[in-house]
Amino acid sequence: MIAQQILNGLVVGSVYALFALGFTLIFGVHHILNMAHGAVFMWGAFFGLFAITRFDLPFPLGFVLAIVLAGLLSVALDWVAFRPLRRRGAPEFSAIVSSIGAGLVLMNIAQRVSDTRVLRYPFGTLPIEIYSFLGLRVTLIQAVMVLSTLLIVAALFVYLFYTRFGRQIRAVAINERTATLLGVNPNFVYFQTFFISGALAGAAGVLIGIAFNAVHFLMGDAYMLRAFVVIVLGGLGSVMGALIAGLLLGLVQTLTIAYVSSGLSDAIIFSILFVVLLVRPTGFFGTLRKEQRVARE
Amino acid sequence: MIDFVLSYLPLLNLIILNCGLALSQYVVLRAGVFSVATAGLASIGAYTAGLLILRAGVPALVAVFGGALTGMIAALILSVPLARLRGVFQAIATVAMVQIILSIALYADDITGGANGLNGIPRLVGTPALLLFIAVCIYALWGLGRGRVGAAFDTIRQDETVAVSLGISVQYYQTLAFGLSGVIAGMTGALMACHNHSIVPEEFGFDMLTAVLAYVVLGGRRSVAGPIVGAVLLSLLPEIARPLADNRMIVAGGLMMLAIIYLPHGIVDSIAIARRRASGPLASHPSVAGAADGRA
Repeated sequence: MIAQQILNGLVVGSVYALFALGFTLIFGVHHILNMAHGAVFMWGAFFGLFAITRFDLPFPLGFVLAIVLAGLLSVALDWVAFRPLRRRGAPEFSAIVSSIGAGLVLMNIAQRVSDTRVLRYPFGTLPIEIYSFLGLRVTLIQAVMVLSTLLIVAALFVYLFYTRFGRQIRAVAINERTATLLGVNPNFVYFQTFFISGALAGAAGVLIGIAFNAVHFLMGDAYMLRAFVVIVLGGLGSVMGALIAGLLLGLVQTLTIAYVSSGLSDAIIFSILFVVLLVRPTGFFGTLRKEQRVARE
Repeated sequence: MIDFVLSYLPLLNLIILNCGLALSQYVVLRAGVFSVATAGLASIGAYTAGLLILRAGVPALVAVFGGALTGMIAALILSVPLARLRGVFQAIATVAMVQIILSIALYADDITGGANGLNGIPRLVGTPALLLFIAVCIYALWGLGRGRVGAAFDTIRQDETVAVSLGISVQYYQTLAFGLSGVIAGMTGALMACHNHSIVPEEFGFDMLTAVLAYVVLGGRRSVAGPIVGAVLLSLLPEIARPLADNRMIVAGGLMMLAIIYLPHGIVDSIAIARRRASGPLASHPSVAGAADGRA
């Protein structure tokens, strides 16, 4: 029983990690707290749903299309909400406000598109199959969630740490000005990070939309708040940290719901966030760059 | 004529309550604290007042001051950990705090009524009381803002290092701002409880947080008039233009983006800066023009 709960927790956690990775990537590289990330995630679920219901695409194609479209939406978000602020050299608070505004706009459009209804993926998008594995029950959906998360995260790591593009991104993360002097085109790096971030959110959106079979214009908020916990636990801007903390959060949440109380689950999770912020605001893992402006001396 | 005025009283009351929340958010932002705790503090005030009235049957005045007191205490407790954090980390911590209060309000349903909230609270305050409340708040903040405290707030917001070098205790003034914010938020929450007949936890969630932030960003963070103008505008817009009511979030979100990108100081402060530039003796001096552009 407890092994099954742990497995379920890790499955949920892998999607939290997927969602939080994109969020933390933008913070780590550009020092932007993108509050519209949840809206991009929600739109990813909508894109996947429309690709499958309106255009009758098979699931894998619809999944890929949703990922690409969510990536492009995120890039558009950067152009509209963040680029004008960058040009002026505005303080970090402006980016928070601007992205909250952009998130509201995106949510309102989704509300109009869906008529405030909860949309569902058509029955049989992923056949309901249950495998037994070492005495544990794994559904096909869970397997897809874990495997696609593993694949995407592995691809991200290869991209970030073993390609020329990834090196440019890491250079900008350390110091944008110096990287620009050394011939890195910062606009291209912004394009890449926002596309990757949106793509990760879109993938998480489709997976969550299918797993809980509910696509709703408010679905992003809850994950946005969870992502705060993940990235603070893992360290704002830490890719590895987001991965581990995401899994951990899924585990904590599933176990508290199963063994403590479903009502207290949120209170416990956010209390953890608060305590971590006080004790170790830089999180428990290394980051793409050293975060110096965390606490007062 | 009387009917016409009466039909708009509920709207006026709503605007006044929103102004109260906006002022609570304004105080912390003016002092350079990136806190968005207003929704959580208002929730504490509202539940305090609601419970005092329903369980203990106290008069409205006691309930409202009880709400203000608990709001202030919560804010002062919160200010201790927040003083250690800065920037986005303060924002994240206060978002977490709002969520913790929300989930506790949902969980402790034998005290707070859970998801149903507190119902059947008699309406104990009317428009005159609300007007008096907001007038006192505006006067108090205006008076504080004109003097030493306001100058200290502005200095800390624009450059903390400069503030410290001038002998301004950042911690003292930010705690003061936090306490003020807590009093105003708690009182506004208590008045909401005394006015709306019922309070539910979701009222004080992420939606309120973003709405209140929008008021201050749109109006401005320096003068007391800023949050008032922002709250009045954003509360009135959906009423004036009915088709906009369905797209409330597009209006609020779009205005937030436009304001922070093109009017980073908000409507009121941008006008004030423009006027000072046009008339002041140092109008052409670049340092005056740039002074307000710091960490606003």
